Amino acid sequence: MSGNLQVLLLDDEPIVGRRLKPALAKIGCEVDVFEDPELALAKMAQKEYDVVVTDIRMDQIDGMQVLEFVRERWPRSKVIMITGYAMMSLAREAMEKGAFDFIAKPFKPDDLRRVIAKAAHALGSDIDFEAVEVEKANG
Amino acid sequence: MVESPVQGNGQPIPEMAPQATEEAEVQGRLGLARDAEQARRALLNRPRFSVRLQIFLGNALAFLIAIAIAIALVASFHRMESKIRFLEIVNDYVMEVEQARRFEKNFFLYGTNLSDAQDNVFKAENILSRNAEELADIMGTGWREQMLPNLHRYQKLLEKLGQQPQGEQALSKQERLRVQSQVRAQGQQMVSAALGLLSKEKAALTEVLTRSRQLLFYSVGLLLLCMALNAYLLGSRMLSSIGRFGQYANRIASGDFTPLTPTRRYRDEFTELALAINSMIEELEKREAVLVQSHKMRAVGTLTAGVAHELNNPMNNITLTAHMLQEDYANLGDEERLEMIGDVVGEASRAKKIISNLLDFARESGSQLEPLDLPELLRETIALASNQIKLSGIKIDFQTSGNLPRVHGDSQQLRQVFLNLILNAIDASSKGGHIHVLVLPADEPNYLAVKVMDSGSGIPAHILPSIFDPFFTTKGKGKGTGLGLSVSQGIVAKHGGRIMVSSQEGQGATFTVVLPVTTIPAELGAKQ
Repeated sequence: MSGNLQVLLLDDEPIVGRRLKPALAKIGCEVDVFEDPELALAKMAQKEYDVVVTDIRMDQIDGMQVLEFVRERWPRSKVIMITGYAMMSLAREAMEKGAFDFIAKPFKPDDLRRVIAKAAHALGSDIDFEAVEVEKANG
Repeated sequence: MVESPVQGNGQPIPEMAPQATEEAEVQGRLGLARDAEQARRALLNRPRFSVRLQIFLGNALAFLIAIAIAIALVASFHRMESKIRFLEIVNDYVMEVEQARRFEKNFFLYGTNLSDAQDNVFKAENILSRNAEELADIMGTGWREQMLPNLHRYQKLLEKLGQQPQGEQALSKQERLRVQSQVRAQGQQMVSAALGLLSKEKAALTEVLTRSRQLLFYSVGLLLLCMALNAYLLGSRMLSSIGRFGQYANRIASGDFTPLTPTRRYRDEFTELALAINSMIEELEKREAVLVQSHKMRAVGTLTAGVAHELNNPMNNITLTAHMLQEDYANLGDEERLEMIGDVVGEASRAKKIISNLLDFARESGSQLEPLDLPELLRETIALASNQIKLSGIKIDFQTSGNLPRVHGDSQQLRQVFLNLILNAIDASSKGGHIHVLVLPADEPNYLAVKVMDSGSGIPAHILPSIFDPFFTTKGKGKGTGLGLSVSQGIVAKHGGRIMVSSQEGQGATFTVVLPVTTIPAELGAKQ
């Protein structure tokens, strides 16, 4: 494992970032949390993340635009979309546009960890997802 | 209409149907029934003057006039007949008398006998006495004194002349000449009296003839006039009533369900029609209430998708927080735990708020008229549709000119109208589109206008006239009932307003709802 997995998390709900940042840190991810898509895009223009997790529906710029931006700027990055359950067609569209996977709200922290572990595996840098499971079992 | 929550499915849901709403509904329905009952009483509480009676009276009058004409004609024919008969009698009499005078002349000239003349006088007297009745008819009972003395005198003179012996006892020449001239004078007078009578009666006959001709003309004219007047009164009564009912039909079609009230001082067959229409109005109103309610439930269904989606956010926040709290409980400090529990509580109440708007709207309630703050109502409606708006990625902005008067209306129903327009605008807009909602004074005084403008593709001109028709829809099968705008139009019409649409293809559509403001007494307005 060459350093921590760089993750950008974009969701306009502040609580999502507050809870997921420590949750993902446990599986060895270094998470940058954004609520504002513009700021996130500005950041991504400079920095390549391994995994980008973005909500599809946001006010100014939606997840699709973020996906398109990332696919163009950093083709290697894996993009995971967060969708509402009512927007399966949008999720399918995202997959066609090259999203790595999608996850429907409401989800558990482990659901996202599992998808991120899959993405890390695809990137060739496996993360020790089991470690958290063991820790949880012991705790 | 669902009668009441208790009667419905036996499961009273106190939160969904509080007592107050239920009472309002009952009052609303009672008010409706009271209006109908009042209208019924007012309609019936008038003296009856039926069309049937008018037809009967008109015909009876014409019939009476015709009878009177017939009687007058028969009477005048009778008079003419008796006058003609009289003329015949007098004519015969004159002929006899003239014949007698001819014999009298022959007697004087040629000395022929006088008995022929006496014969004729006798015949003349016979004619008179035979026709005593007819003569009395024309000349009155005094005819005898008028006619007979002359005749008798003449007869006596003739007798005197005829009995005169020839020879020495003969009257002196002078005496003879005296009697002779007396006879002549008497005969002359008799003839001229009879001729005078004849010509007088002829003139009278002519007059009777003229008068009866005039009578015929005038009475036929009167009859025609009376029939024309009757036809005019009857026709105008029927036509004006038919016209009035045509207007009622248009009014009802436009959604104004106030019962018909009396416009005339009497009642007739049209009153029965008005009563039937009133009960039809009652039935229509009930049905429309059902339609409005079912359409509202459709809108609720549409909103539910947005609400369900919007609920995902607090649900997700609660799920994530609860899981992390569970996972890290041992490692967290009190402050962090409290913060996380606070988040759960906050998100739970956010979830509640998301559904409570919809529940408020979905709640069944009766028609309740009150002064309404239209901008506030629009703000609430936009809040109700906000999930839908967010979901569609559409921007909505709301503008209002400050200090607007209130409108009188049913907040539930008007909210339904505006929601329908906003949901339509959302449907018409593509992602990133804009919807503008404006509340402003309308062009005409004492009206407010609500404009809902979308930036969609607009409505093609050829379907523009039919968009308010029931069951007209451009949406796919199973997506729209085509009743939204029709129901909205019904509701707005009931509020004394109207919905207008203007659209140009490619440039979006603007729906304008115009509603009357609560009326200020005219004097107050004038004084200011």
